[in-house]
Amino acid sequence: MFIDSIISPQLRLLDSFSTTAPYTMSKPILPSRTLLSSLSQNLRASKPSIKPQFFSAKCQQLSTRANSRMVEPARCLREANAARIGGRNWGAAQKRGYKTVQEQRSRYRSGPFSALAGLLFLSSGAALIFYFRYEKSRMERKRISEAAKGVGRPKVGGPFTLLDQDAKPFSDEQMKGRYSLVYFGFSHCPDICPEELDKMAVMIDLVNASPVMSNLSSENPEAKKILPLFITCDPARDTPAVLKEYLSEFHKDIIGLTGTWEQIKDICKKYRVYFSTPENVKKGQDYLVDHSIYFYLMDPEGDFVEAIGRQHSPEVAAQVILGHVGDWKR
Amino acid sequence: MGFFSSSPTGPPAPKISTDGAPIAPDRSQRAMCWEARDAYFACLDKNNIVDSIGEKDKAGKACSAEGKGFEANCASSWVTYFKKRRVMEYQRNKTLEKLKAEGAQEMPGQIGPPGPGQRP
Repeated sequence: MFIDSIISPQLRLLDSFSTTAPYTMSKPILPSRTLLSSLSQNLRASKPSIKPQFFSAKCQQLSTRANSRMVEPARCLREANAARIGGRNWGAAQKRGYKTVQEQRSRYRSGPFSALAGLLFLSSGAALIFYFRYEKSRMERKRISEAAKGVGRPKVGGPFTLLDQDAKPFSDEQMKGRYSLVYFGFSHCPDICPEELDKMAVMIDLVNASPVMSNLSSENPEAKKILPLFITCDPARDTPAVLKEYLSEFHKDIIGLTGTWEQIKDICKKYRVYFSTPENVKKGQDYLVDHSIYFYLMDPEGDFVEAIGRQHSPEVAAQVILGHVGDWKR
Repeated sequence: MGFFSSSPTGPPAPKISTDGAPIAPDRSQRAMCWEARDAYFACLDKNNIVDSIGEKDKAGKACSAEGKGFEANCASSWVTYFKKRRVMEYQRNKTLEKLKAEGAQEMPGQIGPPGPGQRP
């Protein structure tokens, strides 16, 4: 142990070749300077430290038995060194079948790299890059769809139960499973609502005629058509019969919804719609209702997607709707 | 014109729906109202009247026939609404012109509702 720690690798190497080689090798070899240096580099790189377990059992026996004689452990150490070096370098080289010293030198110069290792490195690198890119884009899509669920966006919409134009109850549950377009207005509207409803009719036809809708993977044929809803802001005058008469002029698909003043106030609040219907109006009184004019696009889960304003032409609005429909479940 | 002057107090009473509420003006009734409105406003334009509520006497003298036709074909709330909107649009256009004269840049998109008869 003590001797080993003070012998430098080079010294030990020279030792093993000049003095102990004849003990281990069958014929003496005079190594070239370059081979020596390459071997010594290798040795240095591989942490030269000899621990007791590297000695052969015979040597250990010797050293313990002849402890008083200093020569014996030293010789034994040399033997062990030579055996190690010879076994590692020469033995390995012979097994791998190096024919020339040059071949072996080039093997050491290139280190552990080979064409196969390079190929493995590049292919695993490429696979990793591909995998990370795929994961990144998947997470990005997930983030967008999560954002539409109401995180960081206004939560528009909610449960309601109103009456349709046939005086049958209609609730938000019937909106589930298909895209719907919600519009708030009133039938005695002077000019904006009729214009918007005419636009809505064009939008409905454009959207329903699109292959994006017919390609939706749903068993329900109704889901392949958009559900247009007209919710009145003027429940006092817009009874189911009035809505039926009024909406039949625009599009057969539009469902008109009405209810009590409180119900309408509640749904307008849920959709963030401003409206100003006088609460107590006398029968036959003539008045107007101020209200927000937006089309609300709601997804098949009843979540708000986008508000479409008056600035869009029906064609552009239909494009906007179809863009969202095309993103669904993708 | 004979139709307009026949009932100067308002449009014919609305039909009552099956559940007792008056039915809103239908497409043809709306078109008639808008037509009468455009005729009235054309007359006001000719006489340089913007605010037909503020300048009631002047408007009444200059465009009495058109005014009657307007009122005959539109509900009174609609008449007031259109008259107020005319003033609002006039002021809006004036502001826009002023801004343009000051070198403001126009942005794409429409500001406010379109003018009467104008299709978006």
